Amino acid sequence: MGWLGSSDKKGPDPVSRQDRQKCWESRDAYFACLDAAGVVNPGTEGTSCAAPLKAYQQNCAKSWVDYFNQRRVLAEQQKSVLATVNTQASAANRK
Amino acid sequence: MSASLVRAARAGRIATRTNLRSGARTPASWSHPRHYASIPEHSGPSKQRDSSAVGVFTPTAAALFIATGAALFAYFKYEKERLAEQRRDELADKEVGRPNVGGPLSLTTHQGKPFTEQDLQGHWSLIYFGFTNCPDICPDELDKMSAAVDQLDKAYGPVVQPIFISVDPARDSQIQMERYVTDFHPRLLGLFGDYASTKEACKSYRVYFSTPQTAKATDDYLVDHSIFFYFMDPNGRFVDAFGKASTVEDVVARVQKEVTAWKAKTGSVV
Repeated sequence: MGWLGSSDKKGPDPVSRQDRQKCWESRDAYFACLDAAGVVNPGTEGTSCAAPLKAYQQNCAKSWVDYFNQRRVLAEQQKSVLATVNTQASAANRK
Repeated sequence: MSASLVRAARAGRIATRTNLRSGARTPASWSHPRHYASIPEHSGPSKQRDSSAVGVFTPTAAALFIATGAALFAYFKYEKERLAEQRRDELADKEVGRPNVGGPLSLTTHQGKPFTEQDLQGHWSLIYFGFTNCPDICPDELDKMSAAVDQLDKAYGPVVQPIFISVDPARDSQIQMERYVTDFHPRLLGLFGDYASTKEACKSYRVYFSTPQTAKATDDYLVDHSIFFYFMDPNGRFVDAFGKASTVEDVVARVQKEVTAWKAKTGSVV
């Protein structure tokens, strides 16, 4: 019943555990590439991660891609805020 | 009833008068032979007492007195019983401090059967609100819930019912729900409904969700929603909520504690 090939046309199936897993894996691969390139904000890396980006966009729904990208930026911001707070705290403790 | 009361009061009054009169005279006549002195001395005050007793203690006053007494007695007895009952309830159910979570539900199961809050009775429940297009938090939480249910099944048999309630009425159809829930746990029950009944369920459980009312089944969007899962007792009442930070072990330990207490109280695990 059009089982093969239909997934390409319709995009990933969020209800399928395999499809979710595949999406998460390609997301992790793309983010790892961004980390290696020293880029925080997805989409600002130029052409350096074109291949993993294509797989990521193929294996995840657009809304999921937006959500994961947004969360990556937020997580990085949180990390830098936490780092600042920690250095301030240790500086205050030293006084 | 009032007639008999009055009659009784009148009889009492007459008896009192007789007693007063005889009590006033007899000791005087027996102990003191000096009639000339004792009679005038005692007859005055005894007559006065007599008339004053009659003046105040009328049948109406008696009836009023008795009626007020009876009413007060009945009222205090009722109040006392009410307070005792209230205290019993508090002790039995630890009603104080129980959050008002849970209430009317009118949804459909992934097998197409109707489901209301009545169906939460007779078993423990773990209830998670989410949507099948959820990127990562819902599947994680449902896996956690399923793992906890597996462990609890081993300990008690199937007394804890895992439930997934959709907050995405536009996209989560029966087929979608069926495929989704059976992937997590064989006993996971998927519940869904139209926008109004979904909203009602979320209101009952204090769950926030952001699905736009105009969303179409083909739209690609995410639903922002509360990600607690709720633990309900066999009376369908809220016990606790678990967040993202709770582990499978936390959930199992909490449920076991409640089930043990329930068994001690009722003699059975559900």
